[in-house]
Amino acid sequence: MSSTTDLPVLLPAAQRLAERARREREVGGPIPRLTARHGAWLAVILVFSAGAAGAQAGAAQESVLSIMLKWTPLLFQGFIFNLAISFLAMAGGTAAGALLGIWQISLLPPVRAGSWLVTQFFRNAPWLVLLFFCMFLLPFQVEIFGVVIPLPDWIKATFGLSLPVMANVSEIVRGAIQSIPSGQWESAESLAFNRRQTLWQIILPQCVKRMLPPWMNLYAILTMATVLASVVGVSEVMTLTGQVLSAEGGRTDLLVPFYSYILLWFFIYCYPIARLTVRLERHFVVKT
Amino acid sequence: MLRKIFGLMVAAGFAATLAAAPAQADAIDDIKARGTLIVGVKADYKPYGFRDPSGAIIGIEPELAQDVADKLGVKLEMVPVVSSNRMQFLEQGKIDLMIATMTDRPDRRKVVQIVDPNYYSSGTNVMSQKAAGLKKWEDLKGKPVCGIQGAFYNKKTQEEFGAQIVAFKGTAEVYTALKQGSCIGFVYDDSALIAQLQDTAQWGDYEMSLPTIDDAPWGLAVQLGEDKFAKLMSDMIVGWHKSGRILELEKKYGVANTPFAQAMHEKYKNM
Repeated sequence: MSSTTDLPVLLPAAQRLAERARREREVGGPIPRLTARHGAWLAVILVFSAGAAGAQAGAAQESVLSIMLKWTPLLFQGFIFNLAISFLAMAGGTAAGALLGIWQISLLPPVRAGSWLVTQFFRNAPWLVLLFFCMFLLPFQVEIFGVVIPLPDWIKATFGLSLPVMANVSEIVRGAIQSIPSGQWESAESLAFNRRQTLWQIILPQCVKRMLPPWMNLYAILTMATVLASVVGVSEVMTLTGQVLSAEGGRTDLLVPFYSYILLWFFIYCYPIARLTVRLERHFVVKT
Repeated sequence: MLRKIFGLMVAAGFAATLAAAPAQADAIDDIKARGTLIVGVKADYKPYGFRDPSGAIIGIEPELAQDVADKLGVKLEMVPVVSSNRMQFLEQGKIDLMIATMTDRPDRRKVVQIVDPNYYSSGTNVMSQKAAGLKKWEDLKGKPVCGIQGAFYNKKTQEEFGAQIVAFKGTAEVYTALKQGSCIGFVYDDSALIAQLQDTAQWGDYEMSLPTIDDAPWGLAVQLGEDKFAKLMSDMIVGWHKSGRILELEKKYGVANTPFAQAMHEKYKNM
C-alpha cells in the first residue's frame, strides 16, 4: 500500500485528504468531528443573547452578565456533580458491560441467552424510564448486616444511568470480538492456546482499538444525558439553573443566556474528548 | 405432622411481624439520635423557598424549618423537593417533615399526616395578557394554559373549565412560555402571581382578571402515624400564629400580608 512514515512531516493537502478518506472508509462513514469553530459559534450565540437581553432589560435591572457571574460558582458545583455522575456511571457500566459482552459469546447456551436478553432489554429501554425506575423502586437506604447504608438520589441516578451504558458496552464488546477474523481463533487453536488464553491474549488485545472510539462516543453521550437526572430531582446543573432562574424572579430574558452558558460548558468538556478520540484512533491504527 | 410444623412457623412469623411494628422508635427520637432534622422544602418558589448565590436555600419556609430545628435542639438539613416528589420523599422516610407549599387536600391526608392548624393559605388564579380579556374561568375553554407539573389545580382547570394544560417543570420556563405566547395564561397560586405582577417593567401588559378560586390552606406534613411529632408541630404552628411570626416573615421577604395569616394571628394572639 501507500508508503507511510512516522516522521512528523507536513502532509500536502491531497495526501491529507486521501488519508482522511481512507480512515473514513475504515470506519464505514464520515467521521463526525467537533471543531473549535463550533465552540466559537456557541460563544457568539451566548454573548449575543446576553447582550440582546441586557439591552431589553434597561438600566433599572441588574445586567445579565453580572447575574451570570454571581451564580457561576453555584452552577459550576452542579456541573462538577454531573461529571462525577458520568464518571461513576461509565466505570460501573463498563465493568458490568464488559462481563456481559464476554458472556454473550459464551459456549454455554443459557449464559449466552441470558446475557443477550439482559443486553437487549437495557439497550432498547429509554434512559429516562430506567432512571425513573431506579429513583422510585430503590429504597433511600439499605440495611446490610445491621449497617445502614444511605442511598442518596445521585447514587440512584448513577445506577440508573449505568444500566444503559452497561448494555451498550456489552454490544460494543460482543461486536468487537466477533469482528476479529476467525483465522485468529483457528491459528490460536493450532498453536495449542485454550479458549481462555485465546480470548485474553489474542482476541481482546486486538479489540481495544476497535472498541475505543465507540466507547468514548458513548461516554460523551452519557455526559450529555446526566442532565436527565434533573427530572428526578437530583441537584445537578440543570436543576440548579431552574432554581437560579426562579430565584431571579422569573425574568424571561435570562432563560436563553443561562441555558446557552450551560451548553457552552458541556461543549468545552466534550470537545477535548472528541479530539482525544481521534488521536487514540491514530495511535491504535494497525499498520498494513 | 410436617404441615403442622409449617403452620406453626407461619403463625410465629406473623406474630413476629406484629410484635415488631409497635416497637419502632418515633420520629422525634430518631431525629434527636441523628442530631439533624431533615426537612423537604421548595427551592424554586420565590419567596417561600429559593436559593441564594452561595447555594443555600432561603425563604419563608426554610425559616420556619429552622424554628423547628431550634426547638428540637438539632441541626437543620434541607432537601429540595418539587410538587411531584414531595409526598414520596416523606413516605419513604427520606425527609422527616415537609414544609413545601403543599395545599391541604383530603386525598393527600390519606398519604401523609397533614398537621392542623394550617400554617398558610393561597388561592388559585390565572395570570394572562390584558389583551386576552379573560372575565370568567369558562373563557379558558379550549385554550392552552400553562401550569406547573404536580399542581392539583391543573386537573380542575382542565376538567371543569376545559382548558388545555401545558405543564412545565419550573416557573422560569412558564414565564418564558407565557411571554412567547405558547399559552394564554398561567394558572398558579395567587400570592405568587401578585408578587410577579408587581414587576411592571416586564409584566405591565398582564393582569389577574379572574376571581380567585379554591382559597385553600397549606399544610405541612409528617409521616402517617407520627402522632407525637404531629402534636409538636401543631404546637409550633399555633406558636407561629400567636407570635405573628408568619406576618413578620411575609414582611421580611416582601410579600403583602395575606388575609389568612392576619386572621390566624387575630384568632390565636389572645389564647
